[in-house]
Amino acid sequence: MRRWSAALAVAAVVLAAGCSSGGGDGDGAASDGPVKLRFLSLAWQKESIAANKQLVDEWNKANPKIQVEYVQGSWDNVNDQLVTSFEAGDPPDVIHDDSPALSGFASRGFLLDLSSSLPSELKSDIPQAAWDTVTFGDGKGGQGVYGVPFLQESQVLYANKKLLDASGVRIPTPDAPWTWDEFAEATKKMTKGGAYGVAWPMKSPVNKVLTLGLNFGGTFFTTEGGKTRVKVGAEEREVLGRIHDQLYKDKSADPSALGMGTADPLPGFFAGKYAIVPAGVYLRQQVAEQAPSGFEWVTLPPLKDVTAEQGATSQTLSVAADSKHSQEAVKFISFFLNGPNQAKLAKGDWLLPTSTSAAADPAMTSKENFWDVATASAKNLVVAPYLKVDGYDEWKSKVATPVLQEYFANKISLDEVAKRLVEEGDKVLERYGR
Amino acid sequence: MTLTAARPAGTRRRPAQSGARARETFLLLLPALVPVLVLSVGPLVYGILLAFTDARSGRNTETSFVGLANFADLLADGDFWESFRIGMVWAVSVTVLQFLASLGLALLLNQDLRLRGFARVLALVPWAMPPVVIGLMWRLVYHPDAGILNAVLGTDVDWLNDFSVALPAVIVVGIWMGMPQTTVVLLAGLQNVPKELHEAAGVDGAGVWRRFWSVTLPQLRPVIVAITSLDFVWNINQFSLVYVLTQGGPGGRTRLPMLFAYEEAFRYGFFGYAATLGVAITIVVLAVLGLYLWRQMREAD
Repeated sequence: MRRWSAALAVAAVVLAAGCSSGGGDGDGAASDGPVKLRFLSLAWQKESIAANKQLVDEWNKANPKIQVEYVQGSWDNVNDQLVTSFEAGDPPDVIHDDSPALSGFASRGFLLDLSSSLPSELKSDIPQAAWDTVTFGDGKGGQGVYGVPFLQESQVLYANKKLLDASGVRIPTPDAPWTWDEFAEATKKMTKGGAYGVAWPMKSPVNKVLTLGLNFGGTFFTTEGGKTRVKVGAEEREVLGRIHDQLYKDKSADPSALGMGTADPLPGFFAGKYAIVPAGVYLRQQVAEQAPSGFEWVTLPPLKDVTAEQGATSQTLSVAADSKHSQEAVKFISFFLNGPNQAKLAKGDWLLPTSTSAAADPAMTSKENFWDVATASAKNLVVAPYLKVDGYDEWKSKVATPVLQEYFANKISLDEVAKRLVEEGDKVLERYGR
Repeated sequence: MTLTAARPAGTRRRPAQSGARARETFLLLLPALVPVLVLSVGPLVYGILLAFTDARSGRNTETSFVGLANFADLLADGDFWESFRIGMVWAVSVTVLQFLASLGLALLLNQDLRLRGFARVLALVPWAMPPVVIGLMWRLVYHPDAGILNAVLGTDVDWLNDFSVALPAVIVVGIWMGMPQTTVVLLAGLQNVPKELHEAAGVDGAGVWRRFWSVTLPQLRPVIVAITSLDFVWNINQFSLVYVLTQGGPGGRTRLPMLFAYEEAFRYGFFGYAATLGVAITIVVLAVLGLYLWRQMREAD
């Protein structure tokens, strides 16, 4: 009788052990069956989805032992989705996101520090300025690299060639870009006959303003003694005031474009209603594809004032800290983001690759669709100061977005903007410093 | 009186049996009780406990008990009270307008019209759609360039992104979405109003309006109280519709309290504070509802 119960106990233990390893998604099977990785991709343009899927297929064929499953995500809700899957302990192994989102996830310990596991050829192919956009505190006083940056965006100007030529202004080149003063003059000249010189789509104004603010040395945040505060001084006021002047003093910018998202002014742009639309380089895709026949457009290099610098963020691939196959995930990322592949991805998304070898690809410097202008603008990208600010997302959505929207709608003064951004902003940031 | 007097005598007679019976009853209830405890009571208690901690999202966070600190923060949180004000405007206006529109529709569907059955089915259509689909559909309706609304009105308004019209635009969708259940409940109530009362009032010389005011409405009263209170609770807890339509924008003008709490938890990672918001919203809703029901009951007596 006792022997029976002992046997039963052993059986129970074995069963329990079997169950727990079985629940671990193939821990025991790793030695024989293939490792399975889930890759959450946020590609949304048709060409870009095709490029992503093609690279995954290529990898799966070459690596029967490490099979990657392509999972389609969306920029609209990726961060909500990630928070829940991180908290539940079942995140995708390879995660596509952007650097502003990484800082919060890194400090909460959800992402794997890649600084020691990346192969050196990938490390040296991507310049330090890009690595800076993914280097964050780990929430315990240390620093780590929490993703591989691969696509970057700079803000350029799209101009209607006919209106530009007719105005007789100097055509800027990457070596001699327009200053903000020249830009203001040019838009004034082009405002005639029912057309506006420029359309500022300001549905999401914060990133745009903060990125362009660097032209005047405006950083919007200062860190002293480990404490970050919001700063709106003379430098920061420049970019705000100049855009506001175009809207209400020069009247060279159309106020009704303010509520628009980035791509929304395009119909007006094609109709000759707006001479210039400032936007990210990726918009070239929509301009090139949707422009009516006979419509001539040009991409103008980014503006310059004190500097031509723009705040860069990057799209990234990261590995979840809870991933059971992190080594394999790193291997996959190293393949996915090597020079030739980055060139394919950049072409698919009409963005700039971080890889120096990809940037040297002939397709990235061709005159066609102004890849040359876009690629040249990459040299002005520096890490955006707000990237390292804990609580930036909450400041942006609760304080800065409404304040800037009200300011550009001419409802409040610049002094009030500065006051609210700082006072309400510091209150928000304080929560994260606790 | 006789009943209450008889009961203790009855239980005293068979104490042993009733004990066994209680156990039996409990055993029989258990299968039904377990899911309620696990899926409802458990999370509720956990949520309430969470409200008194500084729980944050993260793998390496430590959670400690902070007493009423979250509630103190809440009282000073101007953003939340602004969101709460928006929530009240939303819930009250949707409930009231929805009730009026549904009452009209229910009265119409209660008439002996041709194709009445067909019309009743049509009135139920919004009910058949999930809120997310409704949100996506109305986003197309409100689209500034391609939307049918601007095309019909000949206007050029960006309904969901304009600071002043965004909330009213969302309220209209809320009314549309909730009309079926309100209409159906009111219609059921209308069909229970005895015809004799109308006939008697008619004989006494009451016109249509007078009969509606003095016969239909008083008869409907319990139904009206029930459906408006339920609607109010549903509306103040509304999340999915606004999440799809505006995500709380522009500039927080349509950020309902539930959306606010959701952002606190899942966007910024303050689970403890978000739980506090949930508890606070529940308390306030219970208070408002209690006051409303208490007044209605008192008037009914």
